[in-house]
Amino acid sequence: MNKLKRADAALAIGSRLLAGLLGGYVFTYALTAALAQVLPFNRVDALLIATLLSFLFYTLAIIWAFAASSTWRAWLGVPLAVPLALIGFWPQLLERLA
Amino acid sequence: MKQTFTQSMAWLHTWGGLLFGWPLFAIFLTGTLAVFDQEIDQWMQPEIQRQAVPVALAAERAVAYLQREHADVEPWNIALPNERNPGLKVTAGDRRRGISTDLDPQTGEPLLVRDSAGGGFFFHFHYTLNLPRLAGIWVVGLVGLVSLVALVSGIVIHKKLFKEFFTFRPNKGQRSWLDAHNAAGVLLMPFHLMIVYTGIIIFGLIYLPAALQALYDGDIATFYEEYIEEAPHHHGPSTAPLAPLVALGPLLTQAEHRMGPLSGLSISHPGRADALVEVRRVLGNRIALTKGQNMVFDGVSGQLLAGPPELRPSVLTQRVMFGLHFAQFGGYPMRWLYFVCGLIGSAMIASGLVLFTVKRRRKYLVEGRAQGVGDRLIESLNIAVVAGLGVACIGLFWVNRLLPVELAQRAGWEVRLFFVLWLLSLLHAWCRPHVQAWREQLGAAAALCLGLPLLSLLTLAHPWAESTRLLVELAVLGCGLLLGWTAWRVGGKAEQNVARRSPRAVAEVG
Repeated sequence: MNKLKRADAALAIGSRLLAGLLGGYVFTYALTAALAQVLPFNRVDALLIATLLSFLFYTLAIIWAFAASSTWRAWLGVPLAVPLALIGFWPQLLERLA
Repeated sequence: MKQTFTQSMAWLHTWGGLLFGWPLFAIFLTGTLAVFDQEIDQWMQPEIQRQAVPVALAAERAVAYLQREHADVEPWNIALPNERNPGLKVTAGDRRRGISTDLDPQTGEPLLVRDSAGGGFFFHFHYTLNLPRLAGIWVVGLVGLVSLVALVSGIVIHKKLFKEFFTFRPNKGQRSWLDAHNAAGVLLMPFHLMIVYTGIIIFGLIYLPAALQALYDGDIATFYEEYIEEAPHHHGPSTAPLAPLVALGPLLTQAEHRMGPLSGLSISHPGRADALVEVRRVLGNRIALTKGQNMVFDGVSGQLLAGPPELRPSVLTQRVMFGLHFAQFGGYPMRWLYFVCGLIGSAMIASGLVLFTVKRRRKYLVEGRAQGVGDRLIESLNIAVVAGLGVACIGLFWVNRLLPVELAQRAGWEVRLFFVLWLLSLLHAWCRPHVQAWREQLGAAAALCLGLPLLSLLTLAHPWAESTRLLVELAVLGCGLLLGWTAWRVGGKAEQNVARRSPRAVAEVG
């Protein structure tokens, strides 16, 4: 019983660890791409501003994964990454579709 | 895992801090030493003496040597003597992979200089942990990211930050470790946040090329063309007719007037009609890192062709962040400030690591359990990573003086012995009871620091002819005193206080 509980806890922690590091990375990647795409500046400036800020987003995403009230909610960043990636990479997407 | 926010942050801080605290301590300590990388280089190559030779004359002598010995290899690189680096060094071929020779600026003849890992070893270890370059950059980046998370979670745990900052209870075992950890952490919080964030930013486009992919389809060459105005340069060998190289003196004067102290120059297609001379400044003229902001001259007419390029505000922002990390600005007072902050930061990480084991030991004492193998391993790793790395770092200084000057692959042997020392410290920590192991290793590091001037006296004819070498040894002496004091305190009063207290009293505080 005790062993089972410990295994459960380890699984929950492992899940949050992955959610933070990998899920957080996917989320940050998409958010940075989207930000760079929508910033109304020259593309050098947009790239730099988005990249300089991106590690702040990543840090907060990891904190979120450990602070979220349930193990499932810790993974919230991944579904959020989909619309962000669409914004970030829409020129490439249009090209693919055309 | 139903917990409050603070509890989950405390858990994250404890375990993230322990596992990543080990590499982080190594990164922090070697980074602190790398603040004085060129001074350590100078100490480790005592054959190089500072000579009162004008820069233009030194450059002419370097060119004469290159024309004589390496007329067929190009480009030529010349590292000029400057405030932090007294040597004149020429490289034929690529600056990283070409053939380098140290020259006597007085005569222009090659100097026999011992091959040494130098202070550059600490610098490279700092961002690669001596792993293959790219793998190391990724590992160090991960450690940096986790420590950023540990810093933020640390702020959350210590919401009563300022109250705790004024709390210091010495000689109270765990309490003192906690207070020291908190005081150092809070006092230097701005420094820690700055140094970790800017450190990650340096390789930001390697870690997270999202914006590069989105805006440039990952084409970094195009990005760099827009990022900074590109100076004229050559690809491949020259087909231009022969032509004599311009006199470098006036070019250097012009460049120095415009950019401040110079660090060196490179000449591509030397002796040809299309020769180019690129003059570099020392990195520390301003906060923003000035790497790549050079002046380029025509190598025959001496006409200024380009530079130094102006930076866009966004590029300048990024360069200021780089510069804040590289600590090349502000001269020696700023270097010392970074060094002291780095030492306090290292002490904060070390006290956090110690705190972890002190807490565990106390828990076992209360529960009447014996320490398991896992805990013994954690304890040994703590000792080896903190005290053992100290022994290995100062050991590198000793190895530098003790290995024969003419040994082949000498720099490689220095590095190998550094790691041998470090491994031995782990073995020692595993075999000895923990308090003794701490004392003996800290004591050994202190003794090696305090004995360094004696070693210099025994191995060199004029050990302190150069003021930089004398100052390096004085700084090492200071570190030795600090280490000795720590060794004396460990296992002294504080630990005895803990042992004397009854388990019940312990339970109340813990």
